[in-house]
Amino acid sequence: MKLLELNLKNFGKFHNKKLAFGDGIQLIYGENESGKSTIHTFIRSMLFGMERGRGRAAGSDEFSKYEPWENGNYYSGEMKIECEEKVFCLQRNFDKYSKSASLICETDGEVLSVHHQMTRGSKGRQDQESDDLGILLDGLTAASYENTLCIGQLLAGTNQELSDELKNYAMNYYVTGDSDIDFTSAKESLLQKKKKLEKESKGLLEEKQKKREEIAHESSYIWRDMMHMDAEIDSLKKEYQRMEEKESDQDHAWQEVRKQRVTDMIRPKKWRIHPIEIIAIILIDILSFYFLPNPWKAYVTVPIVIAGIIYIWNRMKVSKAEAGKSAGKEDGSDEEESSREQIYWEYEKLLKMRMEKQIEYDNLQEKIRELDEMNPDYLETERKVQAVALALNRLEEVSKSMQTQLAAKLNQRVSEIVSVITDGKYDRLTVDETLQMHIYHEGRMISLNQVSRGTLEQIYFALRITAAEILYQEEYPIILDDTFAFYDEDRLRNTLRWLSDSGKQVLLFTCHKREAQIMNEMGIPYDRISLSND
Amino acid sequence: MHLGAEPDVGKNQRKTRASEIWRTFENLITVCEEEKIDLLFIAGDLFHRQPLLRELKEVDHLFGTLSKTRVVLIAGNHDYIKSNSYYRTFEWSPNVTMLDSDSVEYVEFEHLDTAVYGLSYHERENTEPVYEKIRIHDSCRHHILLAHGGDEKHFPFRKAVMQQMGFDYIALGHIHKPGALIPDYMIYSGALEPIDKNDIGKHGYVKGELTNEGCRTTFVPFAKREYIHLELEIEEHMTGFEVRKKIQSEIEANGTQNIYRVVLEGFKEPEIVFDFGGVDVYGNITEIEDNTKPAYDFYHLLQKNRGNLLGKYIESFGDASPDTIEYDALCEGVQALMETSGSRT
Repeated sequence: MKLLELNLKNFGKFHNKKLAFGDGIQLIYGENESGKSTIHTFIRSMLFGMERGRGRAAGSDEFSKYEPWENGNYYSGEMKIECEEKVFCLQRNFDKYSKSASLICETDGEVLSVHHQMTRGSKGRQDQESDDLGILLDGLTAASYENTLCIGQLLAGTNQELSDELKNYAMNYYVTGDSDIDFTSAKESLLQKKKKLEKESKGLLEEKQKKREEIAHESSYIWRDMMHMDAEIDSLKKEYQRMEEKESDQDHAWQEVRKQRVTDMIRPKKWRIHPIEIIAIILIDILSFYFLPNPWKAYVTVPIVIAGIIYIWNRMKVSKAEAGKSAGKEDGSDEEESSREQIYWEYEKLLKMRMEKQIEYDNLQEKIRELDEMNPDYLETERKVQAVALALNRLEEVSKSMQTQLAAKLNQRVSEIVSVITDGKYDRLTVDETLQMHIYHEGRMISLNQVSRGTLEQIYFALRITAAEILYQEEYPIILDDTFAFYDEDRLRNTLRWLSDSGKQVLLFTCHKREAQIMNEMGIPYDRISLSND
Repeated sequence: MHLGAEPDVGKNQRKTRASEIWRTFENLITVCEEEKIDLLFIAGDLFHRQPLLRELKEVDHLFGTLSKTRVVLIAGNHDYIKSNSYYRTFEWSPNVTMLDSDSVEYVEFEHLDTAVYGLSYHERENTEPVYEKIRIHDSCRHHILLAHGGDEKHFPFRKAVMQQMGFDYIALGHIHKPGALIPDYMIYSGALEPIDKNDIGKHGYVKGELTNEGCRTTFVPFAKREYIHLELEIEEHMTGFEVRKKIQSEIEANGTQNIYRVVLEGFKEPEIVFDFGGVDVYGNITEIEDNTKPAYDFYHLLQKNRGNLLGKYIESFGDASPDTIEYDALCEGVQALMETSGSRT
């Protein structure tokens, strides 16, 4: 692309001011306040439109700054550019009432479309409206125009700041291929986002864990209850068994006792002495009384009667005691039986409760298992974390590969230019993997902090020129705004010579006369355009 | 029924939701009594988990209040008859029949000339296609099957086979969403109340009349609440405030008693971050899922940035389709690059 003509119809201090440009170096000379930066802004505003600030900012934005001094409603300009051997005429009205833009191809008369809003992609969808100017500019944006084509001075005071700024610029350029893109900040922003998401996902996990613990807690209570119940059930069971054993022991003992007395077997239970026993005793008495001879009668019968009486007496006594005993025994077993029943009943009840608890416990376990299985929220956040992590990774990868690609190209070209300008004093400039920039003097590596401001400016210049070359296939005019203030005579000569030789269209704004002098001396062809009123 | 389930709801409503399921069940019993329903079928999953004895007593008591209605139920995969299940020993009221065997059995109702077939789950899962092997006994005129499952792991069956088996009606359980496999013939009644936040749509019961001409059924919505997936298409120009208002008005239009999962689709301005604080005024939103994509036009962005990091980054993702994680990463990275660009100049 080449700038052919500017027509500042009504822009800032200018009114119907026409500037025509040719090839090669265009020296635009003007003293302070002669309107150099106005022309600067005009070129940018023509190419990319002018965006108004909002609210308070509007008071001091570019729009207000360059609002025409007279007749504010007429705020417009025209620009002729040459692109691929066709001449285009671009017209814009900047004032708020008739804000508009038009683009006409003067070579074939075709009317082309212009998007009259400053675009930078965030409103990407709107860009689907056709924008022939955008195509013509081949992806050049206002910001990258500022960052590459427009070369001013480094805006820093001290040498340290200066070299930092240069490094920043270079680093961003090396990593992103576009100094406008801020790789470090983008990375930082992604890292922050990742951190936030991870925290969120951790929070979800913790919440789930908390829920889990609650259930686990609840189920541990139930578990404890169950254990208590088990113990109780066990002791009841033992108690019951013990009682049962005791009972059967007693029954056994009792039977033993009964076996010993065979006579008891034939005696009716209610009777303490069997009547036959009494009859037998009486019969023996009577018989002995009748049949024994006299002298013996009394001696034998009396003892027998006495013996019989004693026997009956004894029997009566034993039976009575036995009866008492057996009655007593029967009462005790009733009591024992009822307490045994009670134990059994309790045992049964406990078993049922135990079973209920068991089911409750199992249900809670199932709940825990289900909790482990599903958690869509968590999965969703994890997915987001993964996406951001992937973005980070990819960004790193892409920039690494760009860096190596670009670095090779850049290092070579920048070294070339720097070498020409410095008359071969610095013949090499490199950027290593850590993006540290080094220049070499006679094969010796020198830190950027050690070189003069002038040299830093020259490296910056070389870097920008190279960036513009690599970034855009189309050759754009280079705009130099008092770029050479810190250059010494020799280097300025070298630079101007190099610029002239490069064949680029260069708009060289200056408030000094020395560029003109040097070029006159050296016989470098240039067009002189004066903004002064002379 | 899934008695005992505690579905996810908006804030602080979980407990009430569990009891709501019981209330709805009680209401259903009242309906049976009032409409003099002959047979009430519960095709499994009466309980969400293993029933406790007191819960069984509660349910049985409710069944017991029915003067005319006979109840037939089976156990499903949720309340399957475990070795220690109370189902094994529980004594139901005389009007309740549980087909609790793990093989198909049937109960006859002579006064209705109807036999009801079914079986109960004894395991959580069962891959045998037992339902397809049922043989109908001719002792009654009408035959009804209670079947639970239908998918691979839960007594699978094929619709076409089942249709040929000679039943007058097949009442299906297991799938929570109501739906007819064959209208008036083979129907999943669905859960009476939705029991999971994904059980969207109406829930209720199937009411049918079986005559000699065949069966006619209607679905009766009965649930107190409905889970609604509110999918909202966000337009590029909408602000967070507008989105909040839209969510609220949609909820009001669809009923504030219902429970919502809000899904935002579409495109939003890349710079906008939605803040959903205070949007849940009715306490009935379980979740807001923001699927909106930043409205980047990657094609044009690429055109403009060919050669620089942004362009190469976009290129490196090729044609990632919007559902992939790659696409999300693409959006994230582009957003980060765009938001921070120019900050250094």
